[in-house]
Amino acid sequence: MAKLAVQIRFIAVALALALMLALAAPASAQRVDPNASAVQEQQLLKGLSTIQGRGSIPDVKSYTLEHPAGRDWRQFHTVWLKWIGGLAIIGMLAMLTIFYMWRGRMRIEGGRSGRKLVRFTGVERFVHWLTASTFVILGITGLNITFGRALILPWMGPEAFSAWSEYAKYVHNYLSFAFTIGVVLMFLMWIGQNFPTAADIQWLKAGGGMLKGHHAAPPAYKFNAGQKILYWLIIVGGVAMIISGFMLLFPFYYGLNVGDMELAEIFHGVVGVMFVALIIAHIYLGTLGMEGAFEAMSEGTVDLNWAKEHHSLWYQQEMQREARGKGEPMVTPTPAE
Amino acid sequence: MARMKVLCDADRCIECNACVTACKNEHEIPWGINRRRVVTINDGKPGERSISMACMHCTDAPCAAVCPVNCFYTTADAVVLHSKDLCIGCGYCFYACPFGAPQYPKVGNFGSRGKMDKCTFCAGGPEADNTKAEYEKYGANRLAEGKLPLCAEMCSTKSLLAGDSDVIAQIYKERVSKRGYGSGAWGWQTAYRENIAT
Amino acid sequence: MLIRKAERQARRGTLAAAFADQSSGGLDRRSFLRRSGLAAGALAAVGSLQLTSVRKAEAGPPPAPGAQVTIRKSMCTHCSVGCTVTAEVSNGVWIGQEPSWDSPINRGSHCAKGAAVRELVSGERRLKYPMKLVDGQWTRVTWEQAINEIGDKILDIRQKSGPDSVYWLGSAKMTNEASYMFRKLGAFWGTNNTDHQARICHSTTVTGVANTWGYGAMTNSFNDIRNAKTQMIMGGNPAEAHPVSLQHLLEGAELKKANFIVIDPRMTRTAAHATEYVRLRPGTDIPVLYGMMWHILKNGWEDKEFIRQRVYGFEDLKKEVEKWPPDEVERVSGVPGEQLKRVAQIFATEKPSTLIWCMGQTQHTVGTANVRASCILLLLTGNVGKPGTGANIFRGHDNVQGATDVGLDIVTLPFYYGLVEGAWRHWSRVWEVDYNYLQSRFESKTIMETPGIPLTRWFDATILPKDQVAQKDTVKCMFVQGHASNSITRIPESLKGLAALDLLVVADPHPTTWASLAVNAGRKDNMYLLPICTSFEGSGTRVASNRSIQWGEQIVKPIFESKNDSELIYRMAVKFGFADQMFKNIKVENNVPVAEDVLREMNRGSWSTGYCGQSPERLKAHMRNQAKFDLITMRAPKDDPEVGGDYYGLPWPCWGSPAVKHPGSPLLYNTSLNVMDGGGTFRPRFGIEREEKNADGTTRKVSLLADGSFSLGSEIKDGYPEFTLAVLKKLGWDGDLTAEEMAVINKVSPTAPDTVSWSTDLSGGIQRVAMKHGALPYGNGRARMNAFGLPDPIPVHREPIYTPRVDLVAKYPTLPDAKQFRMPNIGFSVQKAAVDKGIAKDFPLILSSGRLVEYEGGGEETRSNRWLAELQQDMFIEISVADANERGIKDGGWVWVTGAENASKARMKALVTERVGKGVAWMPYHFGGWLGGQDLRGNYPKGTDPIVLGESANTITTYGYDPATGMQEPKVTLCQIKAA
Repeated sequence: MAKLAVQIRFIAVALALALMLALAAPASAQRVDPNASAVQEQQLLKGLSTIQGRGSIPDVKSYTLEHPAGRDWRQFHTVWLKWIGGLAIIGMLAMLTIFYMWRGRMRIEGGRSGRKLVRFTGVERFVHWLTASTFVILGITGLNITFGRALILPWMGPEAFSAWSEYAKYVHNYLSFAFTIGVVLMFLMWIGQNFPTAADIQWLKAGGGMLKGHHAAPPAYKFNAGQKILYWLIIVGGVAMIISGFMLLFPFYYGLNVGDMELAEIFHGVVGVMFVALIIAHIYLGTLGMEGAFEAMSEGTVDLNWAKEHHSLWYQQEMQREARGKGEPMVTPTPAE
Repeated sequence: MARMKVLCDADRCIECNACVTACKNEHEIPWGINRRRVVTINDGKPGERSISMACMHCTDAPCAAVCPVNCFYTTADAVVLHSKDLCIGCGYCFYACPFGAPQYPKVGNFGSRGKMDKCTFCAGGPEADNTKAEYEKYGANRLAEGKLPLCAEMCSTKSLLAGDSDVIAQIYKERVSKRGYGSGAWGWQTAYRENIAT
Repeated sequence: MLIRKAERQARRGTLAAAFADQSSGGLDRRSFLRRSGLAAGALAAVGSLQLTSVRKAEAGPPPAPGAQVTIRKSMCTHCSVGCTVTAEVSNGVWIGQEPSWDSPINRGSHCAKGAAVRELVSGERRLKYPMKLVDGQWTRVTWEQAINEIGDKILDIRQKSGPDSVYWLGSAKMTNEASYMFRKLGAFWGTNNTDHQARICHSTTVTGVANTWGYGAMTNSFNDIRNAKTQMIMGGNPAEAHPVSLQHLLEGAELKKANFIVIDPRMTRTAAHATEYVRLRPGTDIPVLYGMMWHILKNGWEDKEFIRQRVYGFEDLKKEVEKWPPDEVERVSGVPGEQLKRVAQIFATEKPSTLIWCMGQTQHTVGTANVRASCILLLLTGNVGKPGTGANIFRGHDNVQGATDVGLDIVTLPFYYGLVEGAWRHWSRVWEVDYNYLQSRFESKTIMETPGIPLTRWFDATILPKDQVAQKDTVKCMFVQGHASNSITRIPESLKGLAALDLLVVADPHPTTWASLAVNAGRKDNMYLLPICTSFEGSGTRVASNRSIQWGEQIVKPIFESKNDSELIYRMAVKFGFADQMFKNIKVENNVPVAEDVLREMNRGSWSTGYCGQSPERLKAHMRNQAKFDLITMRAPKDDPEVGGDYYGLPWPCWGSPAVKHPGSPLLYNTSLNVMDGGGTFRPRFGIEREEKNADGTTRKVSLLADGSFSLGSEIKDGYPEFTLAVLKKLGWDGDLTAEEMAVINKVSPTAPDTVSWSTDLSGGIQRVAMKHGALPYGNGRARMNAFGLPDPIPVHREPIYTPRVDLVAKYPTLPDAKQFRMPNIGFSVQKAAVDKGIAKDFPLILSSGRLVEYEGGGEETRSNRWLAELQQDMFIEISVADANERGIKDGGWVWVTGAENASKARMKALVTERVGKGVAWMPYHFGGWLGGQDLRGNYPKGTDPIVLGESANTITTYGYDPATGMQEPKVTLCQIKAA
């Protein structure tokens, strides 16, 4: 949007300048006085966000003479992003803390049945952990760029912090490829189970059953509406991060100018901190917030009762499938446990 | 204490690029790194002006503000310098810089950047003055020798002025009042939040 | 290494403290102003203060600990402004360049090239050792082997085809001493086929200007332009070609609130600073100049008294000017009458006015006439011979003025003595060799006194049938010492010449396009590359455009196996067996002739041009005392013990022997000064009177001497002829000659001492006595508006050979075919054929060419300089927005340019710009190493290919030669452009 506005402004100014020249033309008759008609910096700056010219070296970005808009980006980066990120992440942590204090851990109502149902296959878990682990590293190394100078540098000292940050930069750059693969696989792997269904509406109406008392979890298939929303946020957010991230990783490729790069960074930053906040909530629900959830991703199985309570429709599907004798969903506990 | 600034009198600049090669010569700048460059506005039209541009050594420098590792520092002469030992080549200073000053050697794969390099106002870096280590990282330290940046010293038409703010502003003012025109102290409003009243 | 934050803070503290000492305290306001290069107006006073508080320079790569850093001064080897280069040298390595504050010419400044000259002697891409082409492969040879083989082959050619079949192509890049010796080598070899770059840059200026008022050089100086109230630049782009001169032009214009008029087909970087820009069609300078004169005469703005006293041929001019009323001027040139009237009025009435030109005027088939018309405009308005006026002709190379002066040329011996018997006899006396010996070196006395072949025609002289080349045989050997091949027009034709030569020798710091094109043309052998060093690697003088002579020190020893120009000349002379004769009075150390001795020999023979007073000792004193010379007058205070009263660089003419202490002449023909203060008059070089026809068929004699005008303090208050002993006797001044002087005069001409003149008197006595009485040795004559003797005595507009305005050819045809300089010039036939064939329909765009600031000449040297090459990495053609749109050409896109001859084509990038008007395209001419879209990088010896290669503009340029000088026509031809 900002870019569009700039473009409109550019066109308007260009037209105005053309008009001025046209009006000035008759008065000067044939006199061409280059000195008297010299461009004035202040006039140019009034109209345009950048002053663009011609140069001869191949580095086209060097033809941008002045780009005062860099100041706005600096304002964003040093002030706004810190506020947005701080609020999103601290706010999320605060909300979860309050929620935890209010609701405590969601227990399996019927207690553990001792029988387990396969929830995620090895491939699914691999993809999840690929994405998750790279995300965590990307998140930490990313947050370091924005917050490290204020939070870590003072106790680490400049040399150590720079060394760490440089490694962090490389890690961030290279892991982005692994993360990209994770997001793509996740998208392909789970898209079939993440289209909205009628049950999702009920689930949402009931607020996922999290706000009310026990036994209130509304019916859901393998993924409930909350998880579907998470899925789509991860896909959309992930793609947004990937695109803006690759723009930053390959700066000024394909004719991108400094304004585009700034926009990419703003986007990457804002979506990034939101993403981090979102995943914090996800981690909470998958671990501390809900009994029996974490093992779905760690071991791939869930307790039968957990499935019955949280994903009743999926539970029924699995039961029917078992009845038809397809697959081996039922597993006995491993002796070691 | 002197407040060092740079001023390109566009009404004198003829895009001869002496500032560019003087810089390359003085600091042995490698191919592809352009600490200083000349840009021509309105090329070929009456009203055309060329301006030599590099780091302006801003007041409250945006590069320093956005640097994630805080590698910039400002000298007592208000020259904005940085430490290549601390720089991680993230590229943020380029986004923040209103003048396109930071340069990055291409290293490794993809668009990954090496340590940032930029105009030092011929004032070297954090190393001890005029040592081999300082020269290899930042180039010559003319200021420590009592000399001014070579680009300005060698400017063919004395268009590029670098030195004490009050003095160069005074020079520019005198020029404009003498000749009766001036297209402005390019970049001053943005860099120093002030302009030269002419 | 991890350190805590506090430590780093502490380090910063130290740094700040260091700055407090060094930059604020150490750099007081005065030294600061000086360093800022401020010497304008009120600030001018600080211009000559020395920096006392600055530490010894040691910038650049810091020298090894304890190593001594020495400062050596030389001049930039690029253009003719003459910027001093200050080098810091440590352990024989050039480690840094510092601004040359003391030079009154550049005052610390440089352009892109000057600020990058240090790179030349690191020389990664230089030719490192002699090479020879063996069966198409470049092979290393020793110097001894190279000299022997080359010498034997050349002697063999002499045996078979005569001395004129060896062409000695010298260079404006040589020092003055080397240029002089190169010309002397030609004389001892026995040919006048000795030429250099002046042929293709300002030969038309030299001829046109000398034929007007006596000497063919810039009349004033860069510094003096500061005095002008109106500066008019026509056919020049000094912002790119002579950037440091713009310091004087712009600062002068600012302080004087002067008019700054630029007349050019392109809206150049110079035009950007104009107060008035006039766009004309390329090749119509004469109509525009006459258009201005038409307004001047109509309004009575001419300087009537000046014309009456000092000008010949005014009535003849008026007749020609009448043919150019405003509508005809506009029809031909496209310049509107009103604009031209305004420009004419400013130029004629807001005086002093100076006219500055460069190759935009000279590089034409009508180059000499263009230059003449410019001179006439100056004469008409009385703008010659005063501060702030004059024909300020910006020469090209660093020593092109000097190489011209020392006669590295096809039409004259050193110092414009010409080729007549008297000239040869004069030089045989100076060289102390027998005249008959010199004559025996030539094929005949006739050819000895016949101008040689212009370098522009070397390949025609090689490939044309023997009977069309007016010498014993065609050219068989090109001995090229410091000249590009791609700066010569008609490259496709030159390829035939490259293939046909029996021997090609290229002595240069770089292999140049001679190498890459020769290999491309199919040469497999009989070609040698000899590494020559730059002028920074030797010592000697070079002459700036303003005629100032500067002494350059050797900065470093020649790198690799390169040798300097003088050494190669000496070794060739040894090989040919005449070194003893040629270097009779010149000391030779380690095969290198001593520059000081060469200069002294020049001093002894150069009376005609006033190169006689500039001894090495005086010139070296000037370099030591640069800071003492005034910025505007260029004069040192009279009381200075070493250089008191001198003008910087003793600009020629500097009359008399060094002992006379003539201060040099910063302004030519300046009657407001005494001759001993550099004053002058127009030189009566073409007789003292002329017979003119009256209307009734009778004749009358018209004086060519000045009338009532004379230089300050002259005892003769009127015009007078050049001085001879006879004239001195007539005036009763011969008694002032000393006995020694009389002895020398008698020795010069034992039979007729009365005929010994100011220019042949080797004692300098005649000059001394003339000046003692306030008179100019060469006389006091009129400048000629009518330069009888030239093809067009009054300039006539003639359309370019290839013109888009075929409708104008009938009225303004080029001159008829003729034989000039031993060669046929068939310009008329070519023009007629082009019109008949309708070439302009297929090639509708005018193609012009010119300079870029980053490169120079053929460009191989500058394109090998990594600091410069980075700034211009692609050959391009400027095309107007309208023409580009019609052809679907995008800015930065590849295009094919096709030319009107030889089905020539070239591939380059398009630069879509409003610099050029519709119908005009423009190319820089510095590129080479590509041909017709083909990259010839592989044709260079390994490691010597320039960093940047590109198509040569001259692949597309076409036929066309100025009848008076053989100048080529790279400024107007036709082309077509299409997207590639």
